[in-house]
Amino acid sequence: MRSRGVLRGGTAAWLGQAVTGVLLVVLGSVHMVAQHFTAPGGLRTYDQVVSYLRQPAAFVIETAFLVVVIVHALLGARAVALDLGPARHWQRRLDLGLLALGILMTCYGIGITLKVVLR
Amino acid sequence: MRGQFSISRRILAWVDFRGRKPGMVAFVIHRVTGVGLLLYLLAHFVVLSLLAAGPEAWDRFVAVAKTPPMLALDVLLVAALLVHGLNGIRLSALGLGFGALRYRQLIWVTWVISAVVTAAVGYGIFATGG
Repeated sequence: MRSRGVLRGGTAAWLGQAVTGVLLVVLGSVHMVAQHFTAPGGLRTYDQVVSYLRQPAAFVIETAFLVVVIVHALLGARAVALDLGPARHWQRRLDLGLLALGILMTCYGIGITLKVVLR
Repeated sequence: MRGQFSISRRILAWVDFRGRKPGMVAFVIHRVTGVGLLLYLLAHFVVLSLLAAGPEAWDRFVAVAKTPPMLALDVLLVAALLVHGLNGIRLSALGLGFGALRYRQLIWVTWVISAVVTAAVGYGIFATGG
C-alpha cells in the first residue's frame, strides 16, 4: 500500500524511469552494436539473427533490453498522458491499460524470440 | 468539447517555442522524441514479427531497410535516441543534485554531442549502405 502511495506521488515512477533509462544506455548500446554495427551491411540476415539469439548471453541481454525498453517507454507515455491533466478515474484506467499493454508487449516479444531460437 | 479543446491547447503549447528558455525547449524536445521513439518501438515490434514469419520475409525486409529513404530514417532515429538519451542522463543527474548550476550549458552540451555523433553515424550509415 505504501509503494502505491509513493507511485501516486510520482516518485517511484520517476525513479523507475531514471533507472530504466540508465540501463537502456547500456543494453541499448549492446543491442545497437551487436545488431547493426558489427553486422556486415548494417543488418543481420535471418540465419545470423538466429545464431546470435541462440547464444545464451545474447538471449539474456536482448530479453532484458526488451523488458527494460517497454517499462521505460510506457512510464514515459504515462508521464506524457498525466501532463494532459486527465480526471482521477482516468488515471486509474490509464495505469491499468498501460500495465496490460506492457504485459502484452513483453509476452509478444519473448514469444517471437523463443520461436526464432527454438525453430 | 471543452475538455478536448483544453487537451489540444496543451499539446500545441508543447511545440510553441516562442519566448521559451533552453530548459523548456529541452523539455519539449524530450517529450516529442519520447513519443516518436514509442511509435518507433511499436513499429519495431511489427517488423520483428517478420522474424517469426521465416527467412524469406526477414531477408526481404532487410533489402528494403537498406534503401536510401530507410537509411535516412535510421539517421533520424539515431538523432532522436541521442537527444533523448543524453537529455535523460542530464535530467537523472539533475534529480540527484548534479548540474543544477550549469543546467543551461549542459543542455547545449547534449545538443552539440547529439549533432556531432549523429553526423558521424549518419556518414557511416550511408557510406556502408546500412
